[in-house]
Amino acid sequence: MASAGSGDEKAAAAAMITLISSDNEKFEVTEATATLSQTIRHMIEDGCTDGGVPLPNVTSKILARVIEYCKKHATAAAGEEGSSSSFSDAAFLEVDRAFLEELEEFDDAFLEVDRATLFDLILAANYLDIKGLLNLTCQKVADSVKGKTPEQIREMYNIVNDLTPEEEAEIRRETQWAFE
Amino acid sequence: MEPSYTSNKFGFPHLQPPLMEAVAGKFAEMPQEILMDIFALLDTPDLVRAGSVCCSWNSAYTSIRSFGQYKWPQTPCLIYTSESASDNVAFIYSLEEKRTYKLTLPEPPIHRRYLIGSSNGWLVTADERSEMHLVNPITSEQISLPSVITIEHVSPILDENGAICKYRYSRHTADPVVGPPSTYSLSTLRDSFFHKALLFFTSVGSYIVVLIHNPFGQLSFARSGDEKWTWLPPHSHFEDCIYKDGLLYAVTLLGQIITFDLSGTVVTTKIIMDRKDTYGAERVYIVEDPFGDLLLVRRPEVSIKEAPAEQGHEHNVCASQATYESRSWRIAIYKVCAASGKLVQINDLDDHVLFLGHSQSLCLSAEEYPQVKPNHVYLTDDFKSVSLKCRLRRRLVIGMLNLETKIMDEFVSPRPWSNCMAPLLMILNPRKMDLAFHS
Repeated sequence: MASAGSGDEKAAAAAMITLISSDNEKFEVTEATATLSQTIRHMIEDGCTDGGVPLPNVTSKILARVIEYCKKHATAAAGEEGSSSSFSDAAFLEVDRAFLEELEEFDDAFLEVDRATLFDLILAANYLDIKGLLNLTCQKVADSVKGKTPEQIREMYNIVNDLTPEEEAEIRRETQWAFE
Repeated sequence: MEPSYTSNKFGFPHLQPPLMEAVAGKFAEMPQEILMDIFALLDTPDLVRAGSVCCSWNSAYTSIRSFGQYKWPQTPCLIYTSESASDNVAFIYSLEEKRTYKLTLPEPPIHRRYLIGSSNGWLVTADERSEMHLVNPITSEQISLPSVITIEHVSPILDENGAICKYRYSRHTADPVVGPPSTYSLSTLRDSFFHKALLFFTSVGSYIVVLIHNPFGQLSFARSGDEKWTWLPPHSHFEDCIYKDGLLYAVTLLGQIITFDLSGTVVTTKIIMDRKDTYGAERVYIVEDPFGDLLLVRRPEVSIKEAPAEQGHEHNVCASQATYESRSWRIAIYKVCAASGKLVQINDLDDHVLFLGHSQSLCLSAEEYPQVKPNHVYLTDDFKSVSLKCRLRRRLVIGMLNLETKIMDEFVSPRPWSNCMAPLLMILNPRKMDLAFHS
């Protein structure tokens, strides 16, 4: 990099984006990382990222996590592009496989969060339109309710049952089989 | 209370779950579109239960059921009836949860009907008068199909009061009649007449039911709202069909594949693969794989003597089990190259799974359905007449065949279904059809 001309340095500097959380914390990220978010990608395309991108719906705590995810997956995306353009050598495939495994491990570890954080991550992924992160977090919730009774789900997510007894009876009447 | 922090391999600090106060009912306020994304990842029983958690979750459940085109992967289940329960009860064995659900279905009694096919969440049944119904076991919705007497080959015989007492059954094809017609009682026509019936959705709220029936495996169909069946001569010896890209693809015992465009008032027919393969006592299936390619599968009919249950000698049962497991299951799978008219045999399915039997043939990707085993064929019995098989004391062929080891495993042991009523594979569908539209 040091041997590269000043033009390249400028390009590298221009490729950095500042994200501003709801509590006014600033995060410098590369464009490749930021554009995993379709929302931010559109802002960049519209040229309205000078002076930073304010994200009033995302706290610094959650944004930091989202950036962790995007950094890892942006590297993965770059790796994929690189390998598909080069010849597919067995060694390359092996590296790819190892990398995918590591990515999966990263995702699993990433999801080890409390439920409030999981909820905020889903909202952030939805707002920022990061498809991979939204799929990952939604799958986590889906997996957590599998095989559970409505009571267990309410307890797990601290949800108050606001269905009237009549509504609940009506639901049960139609689908009693699923509750036995 | 201070939450305890730990960090894992990747250095993320994370809270020890769960801190109830912190969650504070947030999940009840999840935006509906996201809840629907989450619900789209659930199998039907889980979806139904999640739908009764609270008002917001219930409304997401209701929306996902009414969205015509909302697609979500559902792991196939087995549906069967049993002498041990009342006649209106059907059982569903979930391959996903490995547990059984008990459903009560509308009249006529499901246990006394023949299950002649299932697709897209709907069963097609033939009752004791050989009349057909569509029934969705999840929503309990039921639709009477046009009467069997509106099919080309069946006409009513009336008693002195003008009531139908028997059926006259003509064995003709497009060619001139072969021999005189036979007479069947109301309940016995179904033993020899039906082969397979499948429902396909053609657009939102519209469907066709395609029936493969005798003599000689001919095709008839009925669109939603039709009052009679339409016969599709002149081809015969059909074994299976699928609906793909607006066309019906039907396969014959000879390996021919014929398409039918049933969308207009005039049906257009095209032979896309013309073959005259030799065949034995076997079933032929046509399947669309996850890439949209067609597969043709040949499955020899297998007959294994079951030890008589009432004698109950243990060695007999063991002998039967051993014969079953050590059999060579010669299932041949081919990729269809319609353009060249060639079939290319494939020996393994990699990540894919086949579901073959008396329901719509399916090929799914095991990655999307984590509870099913890749490179396996899930088989249910597809003997020509289950009632005959029961009388002959033959063992039902049901299980998961590993294509690598060629070993067949049971779905569940001991078998919860009786030997008389072969279970059908089916995809559950909690979506309601607008019945008012079809009545």
